[in-house]
Amino acid sequence: MEYKAAALVACSTLALALPAVAADPIKIGVIAEAQAVAGSSIGPAAQLAAEEINAKGGVDGRQVEIVVYDNHSSSAESVRAFQRAVSEDKVNAVIASYISEVVLALEPWAGRLKTLMITPGAASDVITQNIAKDYDHLKYTFHGYLTSSALAGLVCDAAKDLLVTPLKMKSAVIVSEDAAWTTPLDAGYEACLPKVGLKVLDHVRFSPDTTDFTPIFNKIEGQKPDVMITGISHVGTQPTVQWKSQQVPIPMFGISSQATNSTFWNDTNGATEGVLFNAVSGPGVAVTPKTLPFVEAYKKKYGNVPAYSGYTAYDEVYMIADAVRRAKSTDSDKLVDAMEKTDYIGTIGHVAFLPKGDPHVHGLRTGKGYITGLMLQWQDGKQLNLWPKELANGTLKFPAFVKVATTR
Amino acid sequence: MLFWQILIDGFAISALYALGATGFTLIFGVSGVLNLSHGAIMVAAAVAAWAAAGLLHVNAYVASLIGIAVGIVLAFATYFIAVRPIQQSKRIAESEREIFILTATLLWGIIIQELVAYLYTNNAKTVLPIVEGVVTVFGVRTPSNEFFTAAVCWVVIGLLWLLVNKTRRGKAVLAASMNPRGVTLLGIELSGIYLTVWAVYGLLAGIAGILLGMFLGVSSYSVGPLTASAFSIVVLGGLGSVSGSLIAAYVVGYLETMTAYMISPAYRSVPALLLLIVVMYVRPQGLFGRR
Amino acid sequence: MRAMFASRLVWIGIAMLAAGALLPLFASGYVLGLLTVAFYTAVFAMSWDLLFGFAGEVNFGPTFLIGLGAYTAGILDARLSPHISIWLCVAAGAAAAVIGGLLLALPALRLRGPYFGLTTLVAVLLLQSFIVVFAGLTGGEIGLSVPDVMSIDANTNYWIAFGFMAVSGAILFGLSRSAVGLILQASGQDSVQAGALGFNVVKHKLAAFVVSAFFSGLAGALMVFYMGTASVGTFVDIAVGVQVIIAAILGGRRTVVGAAIGAIFLISMGELLRPLGELATLIVSFIALLVILFFPDGLLGILRGGARS
Repeated sequence: MEYKAAALVACSTLALALPAVAADPIKIGVIAEAQAVAGSSIGPAAQLAAEEINAKGGVDGRQVEIVVYDNHSSSAESVRAFQRAVSEDKVNAVIASYISEVVLALEPWAGRLKTLMITPGAASDVITQNIAKDYDHLKYTFHGYLTSSALAGLVCDAAKDLLVTPLKMKSAVIVSEDAAWTTPLDAGYEACLPKVGLKVLDHVRFSPDTTDFTPIFNKIEGQKPDVMITGISHVGTQPTVQWKSQQVPIPMFGISSQATNSTFWNDTNGATEGVLFNAVSGPGVAVTPKTLPFVEAYKKKYGNVPAYSGYTAYDEVYMIADAVRRAKSTDSDKLVDAMEKTDYIGTIGHVAFLPKGDPHVHGLRTGKGYITGLMLQWQDGKQLNLWPKELANGTLKFPAFVKVATTR
Repeated sequence: MLFWQILIDGFAISALYALGATGFTLIFGVSGVLNLSHGAIMVAAAVAAWAAAGLLHVNAYVASLIGIAVGIVLAFATYFIAVRPIQQSKRIAESEREIFILTATLLWGIIIQELVAYLYTNNAKTVLPIVEGVVTVFGVRTPSNEFFTAAVCWVVIGLLWLLVNKTRRGKAVLAASMNPRGVTLLGIELSGIYLTVWAVYGLLAGIAGILLGMFLGVSSYSVGPLTASAFSIVVLGGLGSVSGSLIAAYVVGYLETMTAYMISPAYRSVPALLLLIVVMYVRPQGLFGRR
Repeated sequence: MRAMFASRLVWIGIAMLAAGALLPLFASGYVLGLLTVAFYTAVFAMSWDLLFGFAGEVNFGPTFLIGLGAYTAGILDARLSPHISIWLCVAAGAAAAVIGGLLLALPALRLRGPYFGLTTLVAVLLLQSFIVVFAGLTGGEIGLSVPDVMSIDANTNYWIAFGFMAVSGAILFGLSRSAVGLILQASGQDSVQAGALGFNVVKHKLAAFVVSAFFSGLAGALMVFYMGTASVGTFVDIAVGVQVIIAAILGGRRTVVGAAIGAIFLISMGELLRPLGELATLIVSFIALLVILFFPDGLLGILRGGARS
């Protein structure tokens, strides 16, 4: 009899205590560049994911709360924001930035303050290389976007299917901004382009502060390549507009982060017609069953389409929530273990992280069945997808001033 | 081939520098103000033109005019907000006015820059070009826009010369730059002079901004480098000397272009900086400086 | 008159120091972190004020000195750790700033008015170009991560910064009130007269420059080991220099204490307005402009409530 009474009392006190614990929200800090087009989607997309999760009851009854910090594209402000997020606002995890410099500055702090951090957009290989070198301290960081070397490989694959095989292109010049993320990108290009049949004639690196691209285009044109393989992110509008106004007869193909923005057509007054660029998402392209519903929900709530980092930020909130659910805790070490076991169909593909021991530990798995990215081209104000063939909704078309190999 | 490319590209970019620097030096020469919001005014004019084209769907000419108008309005705003109050303030010692005006124009420039970034993000914008297409000159395929830019710059500079040397108002401005007190003795209102100068400055900065926007594109990031560039050219040529600024603009423009073509685009701005240092130690008043 | 004047400033300074010393007992880690950065910025601003407010030389590139200090310390640690102590790196940073300051000042002090300012500005641009071009050594535009930090404890970092600011402030303030300071002030206001009175104006201005360089470089080096990174955007960019200048003028020039107040105000405002996101910098600049236009003696002037003699 006493046992039952005691058990009843125990259970009821436990029941009274539980809601207090369950009511504790799961806080995710989001540090992003609100003024930059690529960064402005991160916060809103995370917010959208949180609302969806909360509408379905949260994570085991716990609500997901997003706390946003605008870092003005500065590492110093990001470090301050990170410290504030962990010490003052007591976040359980951080989603941070699309700029490699910022993520690299935060990586040691995620280790010092033992807080899970994942990036929705930076590309530098060094992020994951650092984790491989010092796993125990830096394991808290996850690279939720494609590394530069992975991007290079995807661009080469697309180049083979779109340029080499059908158009018989034979030579290329690599053009990239002199920045941390392009060093491994260009190394990747130099290795894989010859393998798909494009000889690398030259490799031009220009200062990210460049405003006048005339000398660069003239120099490249002098070498008569069939295509310019690009690696640009900090610049975009200016080289694209000048490419058109100078009527450089060589197409641009590769990575051009700004070209992924839906506003790019207006920013360049249409000069981006014909530019081919890698992206993890494209309008109307259902990479996975989750892609288009996300875009619709985002458009409905915010009135415009998300930038690429919005897709990954959205997925990352879900992945963190899922990790919390599987770990049954918000303890950072347990979260890290749970994140490593992530096996999630997101908006950009099937997400899984490379395991301990891999030189790119905590980076994304790429390739068939995982993340492959797309190759899009601007045509008449629209971004059309040309690759992979299964997801294509358009065909290759160059502006009149571009001379393609077969017509020379 | 390379020679003609350098010659043509260098000419266009130098003309653009010249126009920007001329406005900057004019304001210093007459008003005694080193306007550190110079770059911000140019960028704001260009962005206004881009925004007008996008929002109001006007053609390139109207958009450019709107941009230039914004330049003039901002120039006046600079004068009435950041310059005049300090020039007339009784609480600031004479010797300190310069640093206060410098700081005030600097802050004003930051305000404009942040406003642009807030409203339109810091992505680069380009102004709808009035002239499109390419022409081939001496085997060099050049956008017609480049010739248009150079032509407009020189026409405006020429008109400015006419204004200052041939019109009554202009001669008064010239006189005021040499001896403000003397001018008042002649019965000419200094305040009217200043208004004229700032209006002309706004026009010059606005046109320079628009042309820059058409030729290369601008963003809120361009503000600092543009002001620094104008400042350097003007000091190189000699503060207060318009002809000095013109020549210095061409020296800097060609140095940069040659470096970009013959050495590397990454080191474009270095030789001009080194030249500036040499000049400042060897001949600190600049090539043609008066003060 | 002068004694009362001086003692009121001293009292304000002492009051602030007392408040600051007791803060870790109440404030959260976040606030302490914010103030830590503010204190380093305060030293930047006070060093600048010594040069401008007293020697009358407008240094447009305080970040040349700060950057030299920060990067020297950072590069040494990044390359030689763990065989080198961070304090040695800090000392090296301060030394580098002094040497750089001397190299800059010797020729630059011969130039008048805006030309001196421009030389300092060009020095910053050159340092920036150097850092970006030699990215292999300096980390380039993405910055340099240093393996060591002074401490990860917010309180410890706060104390270090606070103590440093208090000591530097005391030294700089003491200098400004000393015979040397008065000579500097005279040289700043009328160098011809001062020269006529028999003072070696250039030698005194040079001394002021070296002192300013020392403290700027030292503060820069210390801050690197607080943040764990050095980057152009944090230590060299003209925008940082602008912040230093505005802090000093906003706080009240020629007072040393004012510069510290200005720096703390600026950084706190920037943080307080953080929720406004993009508009924060705009509003802070706007307020700074208003203060400059209507209260040219700065915040200290407002605090002391009245016209100066």
